[in-house]
Amino acid sequence: MSILIEQDSDVALLHRGTRRFLLVGALATVLIVSAIFLRQGMFRQTASLGFVTTSALDINEGQSVKIAGFRVGSVEAVTLRADGQVEVRLEIDADYMRFVTRDAVIELRKEGLVGSAILEIIPGPDKTRLAASDSKLPFVRADTLTAMALSLRDKVMPILGDIKAITGALGDPRHGLPATLAQVRETTASLNTLLQTGNRQVEDVGQAATGVLSKAEQSLVRLDETVDTVKTRLPTLLDKTQRIVDHVEKVTADAETSVPPMLRDGGEAAAGAREIITGAKSVWPVKNWVDPPPSQKLKADSDPRAEVVREVR
Amino acid sequence: MRFDSRAGSWPACYALLVGALLLAGCAGDPKPPPEPPVRQRAIEAETSGVARYVRGDYGTAIRLFSEAARLQQSLDDGGAAARNQLNRARAELALGQAQDTLNHASEVGDGPLLVRALLLQLQANLALGRFDPASELLAHMEKLCPYGCPERGSFLLLRARVALTDRNAKQALVDAEAALSILKGQQEERETANALRVIAAARLALGELSTALVAAQAALEIDRQLALPEKIARDWMMVGDIHHRAKRASDAKSAYQRAQSVAQAAGLEDIVRLASEAIVEKSQ
Repeated sequence: MSILIEQDSDVALLHRGTRRFLLVGALATVLIVSAIFLRQGMFRQTASLGFVTTSALDINEGQSVKIAGFRVGSVEAVTLRADGQVEVRLEIDADYMRFVTRDAVIELRKEGLVGSAILEIIPGPDKTRLAASDSKLPFVRADTLTAMALSLRDKVMPILGDIKAITGALGDPRHGLPATLAQVRETTASLNTLLQTGNRQVEDVGQAATGVLSKAEQSLVRLDETVDTVKTRLPTLLDKTQRIVDHVEKVTADAETSVPPMLRDGGEAAAGAREIITGAKSVWPVKNWVDPPPSQKLKADSDPRAEVVREVR
Repeated sequence: MRFDSRAGSWPACYALLVGALLLAGCAGDPKPPPEPPVRQRAIEAETSGVARYVRGDYGTAIRLFSEAARLQQSLDDGGAAARNQLNRARAELALGQAQDTLNHASEVGDGPLLVRALLLQLQANLALGRFDPASELLAHMEKLCPYGCPERGSFLLLRARVALTDRNAKQALVDAEAALSILKGQQEERETANALRVIAAARLALGELSTALVAAQAALEIDRQLALPEKIARDWMMVGDIHHRAKRASDAKSAYQRAQSVAQAAGLEDIVRLASEAIVEKSQ
């Protein structure tokens, strides 16, 4: 008898435990579902905004909408209209509509360098007139990192090309600085020869005129002195010129050795930056934010320059 | 043996339930494994090239497609390299370098891209005014691109253009309307505008001016939405030609002036000159 009573109490205990478990489980489920609903904004009062654009590239349903960096809503719907335009509807927390002015602009931009795309509402200068719910706002796209990098590359490459061309022209043995230096040396040698010849001729004239005119002799003596002065000063001057020329030659030689490594360094720096960005893209959690670029296809266009108009005219 | 129902069983069940909910919340499509770096660079170059082409920056697009073709070739992916080679040829054609297009499109041999390569050669020959080779290519392609072939619409449009140059406007109209019906429902706006332009040209040649004007204005509307200055200017030229044939001098002049202003703003000197001549000669 006592065994049966003990078993009944065990069964009652088991039933009570089961009820408690079910109750706690149900409560936990309700709490989790409520938290999800709260997180999804089911109990919030929302307003709607919209814009129209030509492409839905980088715009997705559920995408964050921010004002001054704060998340205030999300993209509710992206639809393709019959005229080929894309209509985007945003759901905004009604509390934040006080920041959305009538002249506000919606801009698509990236969070950070390699972050995901977000829509940022940029209020306009006229704070007195607020946008109504369901109103349409203008839309712009900020430059992407790739576009900025390509733009920078497009600007830098011609400059590097010019530097390379100038260096190449300077180093050209036929038409560059070495050829010019050779010509200067040649001209200097010719000038020396000319001066020597002139000197000899002046001496000859002086000897011939000595016995004829004393005044002329004096003049020739003075002329001879002048030539002597020139002869003493000119070598110094030519030495200086030669030193300058040598220095320029040395600078050019240095440039020939130093500029190409600089160009290489520039290329290596660009490659390094690319490697950093590529590396960052492959590291958790960044890799979860960056989608691999989709392979795109050019649309058909059998007459890209509308030449049929020219052909039939 | 005694069965204790309270000892540790319900916390375990509760933990299991919460764990299952968390797993369900975190579950999602797994991301595909990342592409190897060189292939990723090639794909990025191709994607940027497409974006540049769409923006009308054909010079940069050529450079990017060349780079993508070179990288794909280095990975022994002949198909992707050929695709980029053809993209490059298309950008060259859009830039007016038809001879380069002919050379590069000819380098793509037999394979799934052969029809596209031949289409580009055909376009390049038309741009260079070589109508005999263009006709030969058309005859060759008739077998390669039967009904159902994805490039059938483009093929028919090019056949219509060849027919127009042969002064066979009726055949051109038949081909262009067939192309338009194929393109209907596809997201090929540029090609649809091309079809409408050829229809307008064929109807103009046949003297059906009111329908020609409707087609030309429809082409103009699409090209304006796609923001293609050269096509917009040429569409206005065609609208002007239609008004001129209909002896509406003021409308013709207005259309030529629109073509002139668009071409001037876009730096298209050839069209500026043509429009100026048309304003003087045809608007009187």
